[in-house]
Amino acid sequence: MNKSDDDIAGEYSLIKDKVPNINKRNIIFITLAFLIIIIFYIIPTPEGLSNDGKMMIGILLMGGILWITEPIPLAVTGLLIMIIQPIMGLIPAKDVFSSFGNQAVFFLIGAFILAGALEKHGLHKRIALKFLSNFESSPKFFTFGIMISCAFLSFIMPEHGVAAMFLPIVTSVLIVMKITPRKSNFGIVSMLSIAYGCSIGSLGTLIGGARNPLTVGMLADLSEPITVTFFDWMVYSMPIVFIALPIVWIILNVTFPIEIKNITNAKKEIKNQVIKSGKMGKQEIIVLSITAITIFLWIFLSSTIYFTLAVISIFGSVLLFFTGCINWKDVEDRVPWGIILLYGGAITLGMGMQKTGAGVWIAHRLFYGMGNDTYIVIFGIIILTVLLTNIMSNVGAVAILLPIGLSVATEIPGVSPLLAAMLIALSGGLAFIFIIATPGNAIAYSSGYFSSKNLLKAGVLSNIICIIIIFLVAIFYWRGVLGL
Amino acid sequence: MKENNFNDYKDEIYPMFKNILIPISSEFYNKEIFQTGKYLAKKFNSVINLVYIIEEKTLIQTEKSLNSYRTKFDKDETKKEIIRKNINLADSIVFKDAKRVFSDEKINVNEEIINGEFSSVVKGQLNKYNFDLILMGFEKECMLNYRLFDEVDIPIWIEMGKKKNCILTVCSNLAPNKKVPDISRSLSKILNLDLHMIYVVDTQDSVSVDNNGVRSGKKTENELITRGQQFVLDMQKKGVDIHLLKGSIEKVTKKVAEDYKAGLVIIGRAQKRKNVFGIPTKGLKRKIAESCDYSILFVH
Repeated sequence: MNKSDDDIAGEYSLIKDKVPNINKRNIIFITLAFLIIIIFYIIPTPEGLSNDGKMMIGILLMGGILWITEPIPLAVTGLLIMIIQPIMGLIPAKDVFSSFGNQAVFFLIGAFILAGALEKHGLHKRIALKFLSNFESSPKFFTFGIMISCAFLSFIMPEHGVAAMFLPIVTSVLIVMKITPRKSNFGIVSMLSIAYGCSIGSLGTLIGGARNPLTVGMLADLSEPITVTFFDWMVYSMPIVFIALPIVWIILNVTFPIEIKNITNAKKEIKNQVIKSGKMGKQEIIVLSITAITIFLWIFLSSTIYFTLAVISIFGSVLLFFTGCINWKDVEDRVPWGIILLYGGAITLGMGMQKTGAGVWIAHRLFYGMGNDTYIVIFGIIILTVLLTNIMSNVGAVAILLPIGLSVATEIPGVSPLLAAMLIALSGGLAFIFIIATPGNAIAYSSGYFSSKNLLKAGVLSNIICIIIIFLVAIFYWRGVLGL
Repeated sequence: MKENNFNDYKDEIYPMFKNILIPISSEFYNKEIFQTGKYLAKKFNSVINLVYIIEEKTLIQTEKSLNSYRTKFDKDETKKEIIRKNINLADSIVFKDAKRVFSDEKINVNEEIINGEFSSVVKGQLNKYNFDLILMGFEKECMLNYRLFDEVDIPIWIEMGKKKNCILTVCSNLAPNKKVPDISRSLSKILNLDLHMIYVVDTQDSVSVDNNGVRSGKKTENELITRGQQFVLDMQKKGVDIHLLKGSIEKVTKKVAEDYKAGLVIIGRAQKRKNVFGIPTKGLKRKIAESCDYSILFVH
């Protein structure tokens, strides 16, 4: 008997997970990445650059290609970057692997465990519903509520987790309201509010996105280390968050004017979900208390020598184990070790770029034409980062640009390493335009409520506005008030 | 005026569109498709089969973008949640809309929800059941590649939701033009729509295609025009309003459809090769669908 396409498709779906996914596209990009290393090995060293610096630029380009095209997981590219440096004799293996000793790594691990506990006990959903129930006066205000709630939760847990949690809540509301996918601006704005709310919120604290601790880690590894505490970060970033949130929400509402007036069904659905989640259990109270204590310590004590970011992070995690709120299986289920490996690759890339002088050389070439105009350089850094973060992973974009940005500080008067790092780290979170730009966009898109064209339209406008916001904050607040 | 019905013509035309498949992707949903489904079902006494497809590509894309950021456990949870919400959406919105439209006319409707890649699911359904028309929506801004346009043997009706003033049939040197003229004339009668026909001599791919769909070697423009003129004469004898035009089939179709304000364009099994290596132009039909706002019936 001949097998139907369906049978074949069924069999294929059973085995496809077991067979490594090697396709022509992936082979082409992997070959291209290695070809770049070979080319850089062969070509003569440009004037003003050491041979090691030349090879380091080759590694940077290789990493860039692999992070943009993703023929292998992002984390594996991170590992590749780590091992290729000692293989080529650029940085000793001991130095490369010691980057995992950076306390930002352990801060990340602790933060992921805390977020895992929130997710395990559904506390994040409870907080989200509580928040949303305060924004039920009108459909417009409700979408603002979605955005604010996503942003707030992204202050205390990774943005992707927040987007994944908000998707079912908002979809349920839209379904109850009989909102037809793609036919309603209310549906479009609601879903885009999840994506953009998470992205903007992730700028606010060190927890929202892995690029934030990466930046702190790279600054701490400089030859003249710069310490940025949890509180410092909030002082730098929060003005951008609170200016960008309402403006981006206005952009969404102007681009897609909301057509519905009645929010009664949404209210009922939120109320239903609050009732369904029941009363807060004992363990939920404990997790909430530990989270609150940890955040309090991060904000007020992370600058002391006893309680650093990582110490507080691990302290909070250990408390969760002591109280039985989380076990090792939960850690295995919910801590994404891939991001830690990606972090390792990114930090060694920065280290190599700095030690070999490659960063300074690129910075000099890139900004030579701009002269010494601080404003143009600041604007250039923001634009470059936003463009790159829209076509590749946020962490990848920040990992590539940070070493260059930090070197800019040695070339351009008026741009300090901290200023350059903050510009890149915060602009790196503004991936608004494409579905693939950030997981939050992809998660919201999976609802079917908006098209890629909707995202493009709102994303371009929001990105332009956010670029202006970061530029103005950098000039008037960071440089003018804080003296960065 | 008396409305024509399929039964009035059953002895003289092809038995068309008795069993209609309406695939709806979770990526986009076009409500108007049900109105066309109802319209066709009334004319042809058809059974409607709705398949809501939870698009695998969206799930894969989401999962891929979450790699490194979320654990397998988290990704599985997210995937399950997306599937659950899509099922809920299909039941609560899509199928309810369909019920509202079809129940008035007592049209038989079957419903199914399937998780998979759009074209593969549709092809799977065609293997399982005996459908004679695929009625679907179209959207450019989505992840679907619409490879089914080139891979299925039954007619595909792409509904754009525009009022149907007349039918424009496109014949060309790139298609056998065997079934298309007859089907167009039958449809024109059943749907009470004026029929206009064009024969396009595609100057970018100068071959002719025989009745079996086999492409000839390169022909001169004059040879192609002579062949086209013969076709035009044959059609004129049958009383069809037909014109011979020269140019790229995509561009000519778009322009003429706009001139006629055609609500439905019928195109046959046209295949085009136009680059120096003679490689088939991928997705000619998709290109045509992308560039126009009228409904299209691809007849294979």
